[in-house]
Amino acid sequence: MSTIRACILYSLLIFFLCNKTEVWASDEFEIITHPGVNEKEITENSLRSIFSMHLKTWSDGTKIRVFVFPDDDPLHQSLAKEKLKVFSYQLRSNWDRLVYSGTGQAPIKVNSSEEMLAKVASTPGAIGYLRKAVINENVNVLQIK
Amino acid sequence: MKMLMYSRLSNYPMITYQWITRHLVLLFLIGAFPVHAQELSPTPKRLQTSDGNSTRWARTAVELPAQTSESDEVKQKPGLVSTAAKWLRKTTELPGDLQIHGFASQAYITTSDNDVFGNSDKGGSFGFTEAGLNASMRPLPRLLVSAQMLSRRAGEGSTGMPRLDFGFLDYRLYSQEANQFGIRVGRLKNPFGFYNDTRDVAFTRPSIMLPQSIYFDRTRNLGLSGDSVQLYGDVAHSRLGTFSTQFGVWLPIVSDKDTETAVFFPGMKGNLSREVSYIGRGVYETNDKRIRLAISGIWLNTDYNPAAGDTAFGKTVGAGSLQFSPIYFSAQYNAERWTLTSEYAIRHFVYRDFGNEKVDSFNFFGESFYFQGEYRFTPKWEGIVRYDVLFTDRSDRDGSKFVAENPNAAAHSRYAKDITVGLRWNITPEFMLRAEYHHVNGTGWLSRLDNSASEGPLSKHWDLFAIQASYRF
Repeated sequence: MSTIRACILYSLLIFFLCNKTEVWASDEFEIITHPGVNEKEITENSLRSIFSMHLKTWSDGTKIRVFVFPDDDPLHQSLAKEKLKVFSYQLRSNWDRLVYSGTGQAPIKVNSSEEMLAKVASTPGAIGYLRKAVINENVNVLQIK
Repeated sequence: MKMLMYSRLSNYPMITYQWITRHLVLLFLIGAFPVHAQELSPTPKRLQTSDGNSTRWARTAVELPAQTSESDEVKQKPGLVSTAAKWLRKTTELPGDLQIHGFASQAYITTSDNDVFGNSDKGGSFGFTEAGLNASMRPLPRLLVSAQMLSRRAGEGSTGMPRLDFGFLDYRLYSQEANQFGIRVGRLKNPFGFYNDTRDVAFTRPSIMLPQSIYFDRTRNLGLSGDSVQLYGDVAHSRLGTFSTQFGVWLPIVSDKDTETAVFFPGMKGNLSREVSYIGRGVYETNDKRIRLAISGIWLNTDYNPAAGDTAFGKTVGAGSLQFSPIYFSAQYNAERWTLTSEYAIRHFVYRDFGNEKVDSFNFFGESFYFQGEYRFTPKWEGIVRYDVLFTDRSDRDGSKFVAENPNAAAHSRYAKDITVGLRWNITPEFMLRAEYHHVNGTGWLSRLDNSASEGPLSKHWDLFAIQASYRF
């Protein structure tokens, strides 16, 4: 009996160790906001609170609207790890807790850099992130204090 | 009857052996499939990986845009997925920041003995289905309105009839930097432990079956949600971390057959009525969310309304009250690849004023705990191991005292020790498959509705194997 159970465990282990792990790459990027957002710099705590979907309004009382790339996007992984100092799976489980208990909303997903730029530039109160090379004058860059 | 029990026990290793072999084959069939899928993954992905490495060491302006366009190409998924994604994108642009989300899960459960969510011990059952649809809206920057309909089909206790799972208003009274304070009014999910708030969403659970010692599926409707007023607050500190609290006054949902069968004694045919109850939870998280600690408590009050001719233990039963006050301690450590979680609960039950000496003498503490390890082999593949223990009465952990007083009862109905091993495959962020195996010693948390006395005695040692497919958006 116990041999069989052990067999299951071992075979699962072997099976997984043989799997190739994906690379979680990093890159140079900035936090961007809609040009109408007054904030020019922000604390790491507030930024984490915004991307965790807990902080919902800017200091002037307008709605914050959060735009993100899909969970498996390397840039999204970098945002989580480097700017927010959390793992991206934790962001996801946090959003899921909010959405499926009704106590919050999910960020809005975009699928390309062009879409991110266009959405943040055109949505009041928007916040997102982009590679430096793609950022243009239609959005503001938000500095972290 | 004893003879029957023994013959069942002696047959047990044989049956389990065949049973496990069968499922091992099944597991590998499931497992082999993604290996091929991964091998066949398109070359651009590999290119991108190596690109990522080189850009990390030598970032040049020329390489950057090239990589961007490439990763964009990879994201163009064909067929159904991209259509769904497009539709999703459209829904996010609805007015008033309306968002619509949902989930649907179907499980196949088979057990060596005893029934879980349907007739699972005779060739397995597809009796466990969960589906939900929710909408949320922000008509004002500080106001959030949300509601969810839930359908759950799981054995005799849950028929699949859709019900309002939650529906409430959330108003942010105060917001300064990362500190906030607010109020919620309506039907709310009960905040206790790490998982109760979203326990019906397979994606948010570590396994198909939550650790039953803490998250009883038998009395789930009692603890799941209630009509309440809740205050909440988050306080964030730049170095120490975040402290969040929720406190609510609520009316529990008690009109539920499974719950009644679980808390009534044989012969009691009345019903429960709800009384004002309280619930609270405090969660501490470090800023990197590596450490999460929580303490939650429930003070649940219900009144018993007897039916005509109610008896228990051979004597009459009058109107009484039942109090249930569990306290939960939760701890979690998160690393990049692995997560360790443990929760402990001490659950106080008091039966009062029933006018029946035996019933009124019930005043005991139940005890539950589990240790759980999750490992992310890759972002797509996760494994889980858990040991989960329940004692119905902590002063009688092996049930011997209970059997001495109730000669017809089985000692193993007073505890359950569950070893779980499971595997999860996140095929896409929206679609997930998983499988798990449980070996359980004891029958303490089995539903009595699913395992009626007419089906014969329960087996002390039993195994459960389950697979589940889940979709969410």
